[in-house]
Amino acid sequence: MEPILEGLGLAFSLYNMALVIAGVLIGVLFGALPGLSSPLAIALLLPFTIMLEPVSAICMMAALYCAGTFGGSITAILINAPGAPPAVATAFDGYPMARRGEAGRALGLAAVSSVTGGLLSLVVFIVATPLLAKVAVSFRPPEYFALTVFALSMLASISGRSSLRNLIAGAVGVLISTVGTHLGTGIERFTFGFHELTEGVEFVPVLIGLFAVSEMLVQSQTADMALERIKSVVVKLPSREDIRRVAGTVLRSSGIGTFIGILPAEGSTVAAIIGYNEAKRWSRRKHEFGTGVPEGIAGPEAANNAATGGAMVPTLALGIPGSGTTALILAALIAHGFRPGPYLIQETPEFIYAIFGAMAVGNVAFLVIGLVGAKLFARITLIPRTFLWPMVFGFSVIGAYSLSGSFFDVWVMLVAGAVGFIMRRHGFGAAPLVMGLILGRMLEETLSQSMIMYDNDWLRLLESPIVCGFFAMAVLGLTWPAIAARMAARRSRDPE
Amino acid sequence: MWRSALGRVHRTDLALSLTILALVGAGFYLSTTFEEVSPLFADTIQPEFFPRLLLWTIGILALLLPFEHAFRSKRGDSGLDEDRRVAVQPIAYVTFAAALVLVAAAEWLGTYLTLVAICFALPLLWGERRRVPLTAFALGFPTAVMVLFTQAFQIYFQPGVFGLSLN
Repeated sequence: MEPILEGLGLAFSLYNMALVIAGVLIGVLFGALPGLSSPLAIALLLPFTIMLEPVSAICMMAALYCAGTFGGSITAILINAPGAPPAVATAFDGYPMARRGEAGRALGLAAVSSVTGGLLSLVVFIVATPLLAKVAVSFRPPEYFALTVFALSMLASISGRSSLRNLIAGAVGVLISTVGTHLGTGIERFTFGFHELTEGVEFVPVLIGLFAVSEMLVQSQTADMALERIKSVVVKLPSREDIRRVAGTVLRSSGIGTFIGILPAEGSTVAAIIGYNEAKRWSRRKHEFGTGVPEGIAGPEAANNAATGGAMVPTLALGIPGSGTTALILAALIAHGFRPGPYLIQETPEFIYAIFGAMAVGNVAFLVIGLVGAKLFARITLIPRTFLWPMVFGFSVIGAYSLSGSFFDVWVMLVAGAVGFIMRRHGFGAAPLVMGLILGRMLEETLSQSMIMYDNDWLRLLESPIVCGFFAMAVLGLTWPAIAARMAARRSRDPE
Repeated sequence: MWRSALGRVHRTDLALSLTILALVGAGFYLSTTFEEVSPLFADTIQPEFFPRLLLWTIGILALLLPFEHAFRSKRGDSGLDEDRRVAVQPIAYVTFAAALVLVAAAEWLGTYLTLVAICFALPLLWGERRRVPLTAFALGFPTAVMVLFTQAFQIYFQPGVFGLSLN
């Protein structure tokens, strides 16, 4: 009971509440602006949060994560420009409803569905995280190695156009994590004589480069594109009839979103798309989807926000990110000197209760902020891009520099930005690379420790049933996209 | 037969695959230049083992890249070219070159003036021609950011040769 009170006390302290509200505002703002996203916001904020207390920093980021997911829906509904990828499915029905003159109704449905999904997933988060951590305490290096392999295999099925490219990007991320001194022997690898690289590549400049600088280069090509002007909008809470109509969809999508969030590497975008598809599949009015039906908004919104609570479960209990954004939160934890995983939960149980409290407050806060300020946030899209992106670049430079007061990190950021731009152009995602980068060190360390345990006999890895289970799931994770594509092709051939 | 096999190859992805393979080759070469390991550590996994394992993995996956397009087209899904259908516009290169120049000049200019230069040069490059908003932005934003970070977060920024900073 004591850790619960202590954790909630931390979350509800005036200082942390102020940070949580700031996180919500930044999240909704970054979510609403096309091109800006919650991972980008966290990447930019990360260097500055190093100066905060670890719990305060993580609470702020967790709240930002929830709010950023919802923020993207505002512009998706009002101007058909999803501010962030998880809001893409919301635009399918949200925008047609807004075009019919019911933008307020659409925003109200999105906000209430999001909050419901988010809060329901937090219940799962608070119950499942300590349980999973308790199981994971018994994991030895071989089990952790297998778990990391499984997490990386899931890159094959995360959102993005190509499983193959996601896997390559993930492997490149792991390769980058090998830069620096080899822990087992003290030999330097790929440092090219730069002493700044002997301890490895800093996460933060790479993250800022991949998310912020590469996006700036993409946006530079659309600087003169004008966005639709927002008409007057009064956000309305859903009517009783609407609530009755979408209640089942919201509950179902919350379950789907939470489950998908818990799966390593899967995130809100996958959850939202599945949430939309399931809402359609269960609906009696399938043919009306795409014309502005409430279920078409509630389904993806409940699912994408439920995925945020779900994604925090493996992130905190196992140290395995549940999504691209939680990979950044994991990087923040590491930057604060924590090693996320079961021992963190066992030694500082109040930590997860503080995050729970922050995310709960974040959800309620974005409901209020979303309802009151949707029109204002939508108007922010009118900020000229010619000023917006130089601002982002300015923050990127300051963020990368202030981490260690060195321009070397700014150069790392620029290189990462150029690489990210080229990667995006050719269909490689930034999120898989970040996952690989963050999990890489754990993968190599646990492999080395396992080999010491087993006298370099690889086959002995299979002595553990847990290892076998994770490897089997990894094989399934790798082959699932092909199986799913074949099943979808068969379904489309025989619709009956 | 060769012609039909070649017809399935996506040319851009072939070039991409060859580039990745060249980088993998370079990585392999670099892994041969690591220092010798002391015999004390002969039983542990060697420092080059893990990077090479990854290079092999990346190389094998890269070999599949040129055929991915054909495989997906068969399923009626060829969205891979969506982001590269339109050529990269010159402004993206110019923006990156400007970013390189500004960062290269940062140690000399100092952080504050670098921010002013960023906020002036990038909007100008992107077509902003309204003098008053541009000047207000180029002076106002860096000043606000520097005051915030030097006063609230106590971050030290380099003053540069002009000695201009708000520390």
